[in-house]
Amino acid sequence: MNFAFKFLYRIYRTIAGIRYWGYRRFTRAGLCVLGGFLLAGAMSPDTDNNVAYQGFTFLLLLLVLAFCSSLFFRARFSATRNLPRFGTVGAPLGYTLSLKNLTSRTQKGLAVLENLADSRPSFEDWLAVQLDYERRARSFRFSPNRRSNPFRLAGLKIAAVPLSPSRQEVQVRCELTPLRRGLLRLDGITVARPDPLGLFRAFSEVSLPQSVLILPKRYPLPPIALPGTMKYQQGGIALASNVGQSDEFVALRDYRQGDPLRHIHWRSWARAGKPVVKEFEDEFFVRHALVLDTFAEHAHSDTFEEATSIAASFACTIPSQESLLDLLFVGSESYCFTAGRGVAHGEQLLEILASVRRAQEPGFHKLESLVLNHISKVSGCIFVLLAWDQERREFVKKVRALGVPMVVLVVVESGKKALLEAQVGYDRPERFFVLESDKIEEGLAQLK
Amino acid sequence: MKTPPLLLGAVLVFWGWQTGFLIAGSLMGLVLEGSRWVEARWDFSDEDFTRIWNFCTLLLVAAILYAFSSNEGPADLKGLLHNASWLTQRNAGFATARTAFSVLRWLPMILFFFTATQAYSTRDNIPLQTILIILRYRLRTAARLGLPVPVSRTFNISYPYFAVCLFSSCVHSADDTSFFWGFCALAAWALWPQRSRRFGLPLWLTAMALAIGLSYFGQRGIGQLQSYLGNLNPQWLTGFMRRRFDPIQSQTEIGQLGRIKTSTKIVIRLEAKNGVPPRRLRETTYRSFKGRIWYADLTENDFIRVPETNETTFPLLDKLTTEVATISCYLPGGKALLPLPESTARLEHLLAYNVWRSPLGGVLEEGPGLVVFDALYGGTSNTIDEPPNDLDTSVPGRETNTLEKVVSDLQLRGQNFSQALQTLGKYFSTRFTYTTWLDQARFPHKNDTPLSRFLLRTKSGHCEYFATAGVLLLRSVGIPARYAVGYAVHEGSGQNYVVRQRDAHAWCLVWDERHRAWRDFDPTPSTWVTADALDTSFMQKLSDIWARVTFEISKFRWGQSHLRQYFLWALVPILALLLYQIVFRKRHRLWGRKGPRSNQGSLWPGLDSEFYELEEKLAKRGLERRPSEPLSTWLRRVSGDEALVHLDVPLRELLILHYRYRFDPRGLSSNERQQLRSEARTCLATLDQPASLVAAD
Repeated sequence: MNFAFKFLYRIYRTIAGIRYWGYRRFTRAGLCVLGGFLLAGAMSPDTDNNVAYQGFTFLLLLLVLAFCSSLFFRARFSATRNLPRFGTVGAPLGYTLSLKNLTSRTQKGLAVLENLADSRPSFEDWLAVQLDYERRARSFRFSPNRRSNPFRLAGLKIAAVPLSPSRQEVQVRCELTPLRRGLLRLDGITVARPDPLGLFRAFSEVSLPQSVLILPKRYPLPPIALPGTMKYQQGGIALASNVGQSDEFVALRDYRQGDPLRHIHWRSWARAGKPVVKEFEDEFFVRHALVLDTFAEHAHSDTFEEATSIAASFACTIPSQESLLDLLFVGSESYCFTAGRGVAHGEQLLEILASVRRAQEPGFHKLESLVLNHISKVSGCIFVLLAWDQERREFVKKVRALGVPMVVLVVVESGKKALLEAQVGYDRPERFFVLESDKIEEGLAQLK
Repeated sequence: MKTPPLLLGAVLVFWGWQTGFLIAGSLMGLVLEGSRWVEARWDFSDEDFTRIWNFCTLLLVAAILYAFSSNEGPADLKGLLHNASWLTQRNAGFATARTAFSVLRWLPMILFFFTATQAYSTRDNIPLQTILIILRYRLRTAARLGLPVPVSRTFNISYPYFAVCLFSSCVHSADDTSFFWGFCALAAWALWPQRSRRFGLPLWLTAMALAIGLSYFGQRGIGQLQSYLGNLNPQWLTGFMRRRFDPIQSQTEIGQLGRIKTSTKIVIRLEAKNGVPPRRLRETTYRSFKGRIWYADLTENDFIRVPETNETTFPLLDKLTTEVATISCYLPGGKALLPLPESTARLEHLLAYNVWRSPLGGVLEEGPGLVVFDALYGGTSNTIDEPPNDLDTSVPGRETNTLEKVVSDLQLRGQNFSQALQTLGKYFSTRFTYTTWLDQARFPHKNDTPLSRFLLRTKSGHCEYFATAGVLLLRSVGIPARYAVGYAVHEGSGQNYVVRQRDAHAWCLVWDERHRAWRDFDPTPSTWVTADALDTSFMQKLSDIWARVTFEISKFRWGQSHLRQYFLWALVPILALLLYQIVFRKRHRLWGRKGPRSNQGSLWPGLDSEFYELEEKLAKRGLERRPSEPLSTWLRRVSGDEALVHLDVPLRELLILHYRYRFDPRGLSSNERQQLRSEARTCLATLDQPASLVAAD
């Protein structure tokens, strides 16, 4: 069985490689000529009933000439890409490219293509996606939700290069649409020149490695009252007031062992010649935990991506000037990041969420212990879960037993909502929402 | 992406010229190119495009079925299922290929409706879901589940239709290189707008000329190679080997043991229109007997093509005839021998692509799967068979002793022609019995042959034994004879006759030197008919009814009835109904001029407000509205003009009405709409008046 899958994976890799090459090398007219050539080739052997072989030879010669002309493109270029730091999944990312013509003649009619890093998955990732699809596919039915290429990193547009005089630099407006969050690596650019017939492109490649962080997709959230009350936060309001001249601390005192370095009042130390720390008034404010379930079945799981998007939506929506937000999840190890009140901005949480990967090993208990250790500091919890199985039910039950208010969001595959809601019994939390992976926006709009 | 002007028209004319649909191609080209000059446009919705696409799909399915049945697809497929030999596989493959080519040839006509619809619609592009059922299903599912409907891609059918027409043009045999030159010219024309602007015209022309020049020699080389390979194929005669009787050879059941299988399937229907029906229908004759096989000893070149005098009449002999019979028979594989009465002189109402005549009296036809024709026969006893030669008196060496023994027993030698036939007839009818069951010989002799066993020992067999023995005995006494195969006609069915598979028969054709003509001589005892009829099953009646039904369907299918043209005409009201639905439904507007070419399904309300005419008129007077200037501000500016002060109030009132007409979801009542119209007209009329008159007022 494994051999068969490996064989299919090889076929997939080969076909994906040919497609990538074909779509870059051939123009639209070239692809039409190639299609006609293949069709004529299929018809040609039957010379008794048709004369397609006459067209076949012509189309073949067109392609051969177009290919031969691509061998005589010797132009050289250098380039600088003015890339923004971030992009967002699904949102077109525009940027400019400074392209310098290093040849002694003016170049015109050129185009620029971005060279993305190879997006073909490893065998394990590919197999996981295939098996997941097989599990969900229904016999003799169209599958409306299957993505044609779940591994595609970005949609690229071929950018036209304006007239490029010798030794001069021109600005090229490029655009790509990221389709996956995380680090999008760009290996370089390819300057393409079509042949005189306009069928086949000759390439001149420029190495230009660069990357851009693609943030997860965000959804608009309705104004929601998050659960929980104010809690005492050690460190007080200083967490949020390091900026400017405000002195909310109430007094100065001598340094005692164990005081955090950030509390040292440097000017007083300089004046007094011994370490002096600031003493703060006790502060009470709201602090939320955003718990992201990363125990997905495979790395390209739709539900996991949507769960990350939901977490990102919360991270950038919760007012950071009035509360703190802790992002808790398990990756290669357990992580807790805090944002709000000057500690960090929501954007930084987005960066973290852009890089969140599926937990490598099973072990939901890690997340459970992370949350339970942290629970005393928070006023309320937002859980974004990928399933509602026994393990997760028990986890939520424990947190409820501690009296922590919570919102539980469970992201499920399309069409599984009714099934899950039917399973939810007495242990269902008060604010429990099931969101289908293709109706997230609609589901979030119903949050209260 | 639209095609350059006149390209579609040119390719349709080219397609028509190459495939024999010149008038249809020219008309279609005219209609499509006419859209560049005709300004009328229809506002087709996505649903209309889908409906027209469905209609085209139905036409395509009908065309595939029609082509499949016309190209003997069902028969070949059935043959493949019954006996998966290389020959049946080859036949099924050919039938499929022929079907595909036929459909490809008609494809421009099938897709024409859709292309014309787009040409005369207000849109340049059509959403992809109108033609893709999977996409349509996905969008419907998304709409049903309340999901956001994804943006659909659009397409223009011009270039795909061009490609279809170009490839459809190649479905014909290579008579000349006109297709090549036309293909190159049209492809170059289509590629011209897609050329790289980096290079100049001379380079493009050079590249194209080089491609055309080299490919000209290339296609000639391929053509020659193909014909060379074709000549190497030794199996050209395999086409003949798919019939119940083969014009080249006939394998007999002589020497086989057990029951000879016969079928009650009706294979021929005969109606005697004038005179008595023929007793036998002959398909062909053979000359040499070797082993168990009779050979015609013919080659490809011995078949002579019979020219038709009109499209359906094929004269075989130049003589007067007295009798006419209408014969209906199947032609498995589309090429088979015709069962004909003795001395047939002419075939009328015969739908055939080709008819050949063999020197041994066989008439080979290439045509549809079922033929219904009139055979004119009788009069003199002349036949199309050629006079005998040495082969018609040859006897296989192995049988000589047996034959000599019988000849001497019967004292045949020395008898004249009539006496010999009489003696032989009596000999076989009195001393032999007819049977389809053959036993193993109990005490086989070393030199026994199946024929010697039949003549000397068993004296029992089926018609092939009798005919073979008769031919060889006659030859032994110097009378030229041939082995004839065909069917016996004896079973009435109402006013007509039916011939079943089990009526297949073999007899002798004997040369009458006195009349210099061939005569039928049947040595099989006449009891064979009743013996075969004993096997009749009680289900035969039902089987016959079913055979009648399939026969009528076959007649329709193979164009032997007039129903087919009625069937085609039946498509006309369906098309008319579809067009009525699309064109004359209320919500479609027929635009007097080229409509707004956009993908927007509906226009904004109030765009026909007369206020815009006022705005235009005032702009001509130099009071043009600035970009982004609100109408109210603009009106204040207009009222500032001394000559237009008197229009201040009416224009403001008009503006209120205009705003309501334009933006109020409830719109205007009919009275208010009328008021807007009339007051705007009044203002326009005032503006048209000379300034002096206005001042006097």
